[in-house]
Amino acid sequence: MELDQMIKTKHIITLTLMAAVVLSTAGLFHEPEKAQLKVIYAGSLIIPFEEMEKAFEDEHPNADVLLEGHGSIQAIRRITEIHEEYDVIAVADDSLVPDMMYPDYADWCVRFAQNQMVIAYTNASLYADKINDLNWYEILARPDVKFGFSNPFFDACGYRTLMVVPLAEHYYENRTIFEDLIACNFDPRIPIIEEDGVYTVFVPEVFEPQGDKIAVRGGSVQLLALLEYGGIDYVFAYKSVAQQHGLRYVELPAEIDLRAREYGDSYGKVTVNLGFQRFSSVGIERQGKPIFYGITVPKNAPNPELGVEFVNFVLSEEGQNVLRSVNQPSIPPEADELDKIPEELRAVVYKEIET
Amino acid sequence: MSESSRVPRLALIAVAVVCIAGIAAVAYLNPFGEPEETIDWNLTLISSSGEEKVLTFDELKAMPSHEGYGGFFTTVGVVNGPYKCKGVLVKDLCDLVGGINASNTIWVSASDGYLMALSYDQVNGDFRTFDPVTFREAPHEELKMILMYEKDGAFLSDYDGRPLRIAIVSTKHDYLTEGHNWVKWVDRIEVRTPTNTSLT
Repeated sequence: MELDQMIKTKHIITLTLMAAVVLSTAGLFHEPEKAQLKVIYAGSLIIPFEEMEKAFEDEHPNADVLLEGHGSIQAIRRITEIHEEYDVIAVADDSLVPDMMYPDYADWCVRFAQNQMVIAYTNASLYADKINDLNWYEILARPDVKFGFSNPFFDACGYRTLMVVPLAEHYYENRTIFEDLIACNFDPRIPIIEEDGVYTVFVPEVFEPQGDKIAVRGGSVQLLALLEYGGIDYVFAYKSVAQQHGLRYVELPAEIDLRAREYGDSYGKVTVNLGFQRFSSVGIERQGKPIFYGITVPKNAPNPELGVEFVNFVLSEEGQNVLRSVNQPSIPPEADELDKIPEELRAVVYKEIET
Repeated sequence: MSESSRVPRLALIAVAVVCIAGIAAVAYLNPFGEPEETIDWNLTLISSSGEEKVLTFDELKAMPSHEGYGGFFTTVGVVNGPYKCKGVLVKDLCDLVGGINASNTIWVSASDGYLMALSYDQVNGDFRTFDPVTFREAPHEELKMILMYEKDGAFLSDYDGRPLRIAIVSTKHDYLTEGHNWVKWVDRIEVRTPTNTSLT
């Protein structure tokens, strides 16, 4: 054997002995393994679910909750198209679960929380002490004011913004709000058709405003950073997100802010038509409807019993208190398929979703 | 701890030690030389007039390459990278099917059904960049959009979008771009002339 080969062999033996020592030590001090619970959830639930993780693990010391946040559609696709396995999924639009997961990946969904659109701002925002629920669209249209919203292709909050503005036209009886706030800041202008009180907004495939009046970003992470350092004055956001970040906000009328079940029909009179189909499994039309969050345990969950236990915890009075403690509005749980929910959930879910 | 549960653990440790030693030996001695990895993947390029050209992975890899640093963050602010990225300029790929001009967009499609539309300006590197800690917008050097096949000196893992993924890179690694542009598992790039949807 040549000299350098002998040296190499010695190194390997040394490495092997070191690995043996490390692994043996790890074995001696081994703690009982915790059961992993993989939870995938909508981005707007980051703060509530971080709190939920702590509260659940306090009650279940043998469980290790692993959280993973995505946009709601992406979260579902990770299960249905990328074939990854999670024990619980929670999304910011409960209708996505039956649309994208039934029947192969889920057969029940429970509504457990809601949200509403607001206009968030800071003390440093221009006209911060003047803006209110009657004049917000005039303030935002002023030439010196800058505002932002999420890109409707990447964030539900973005296409929901494009629903709020046409609804505002109808509510305030002012037919220029969309033109003055949105359309005129794009070249070519963002088209909107109104026929018999039904609005359709057409979003071009490259959604980039001209000038710096409007900031369109991929999600709230970028927009909130932009707002906080004064790059913009106002941002369309979910109320829970505004509160969780300590922002001021204008609460909009229930007729336009997508919070109220009773206005579901009128919200439905706005459709946003996206210029390209980002996901082959989801169409390009988004129709206005109240914002409800849905939760389920996928059929291919690796640990479905623990998944159901986590859902049970989220839906329990304790879980609902966790949500409320971080300003995530909760609702009494209601299921779309009451007879299909797991037995363990029947003590907390006894109402069917009203259609 | 019972005797019966200790025995399998010791056996497990022994197996792990042998495996580590084996891997270390192979990596250290490298008796077989660097393996040539074969990747069976086609990239379809489509011109604005509908003509198609199909490139195998090897043909793409034989094209002039571009290297740079790039990283991104997800919808919820999870930071990935920056990495050292190597690939082919997307603009060069467009040139293989007649090029791209300011009136065009490209549709980048993936094998999982994902599609992303990108503008002419973006193909030429017009992106916002963000500070990796504060997510505030940050100034940047010249950016390039590449179709990446190597990350940090190795082919992409499946999780990273093997074998082809869009990346936005520059000579610096101080900033990030938005993750939705980093399309994984790319199998098709189409140059398009969008219809003007303006109803004015």
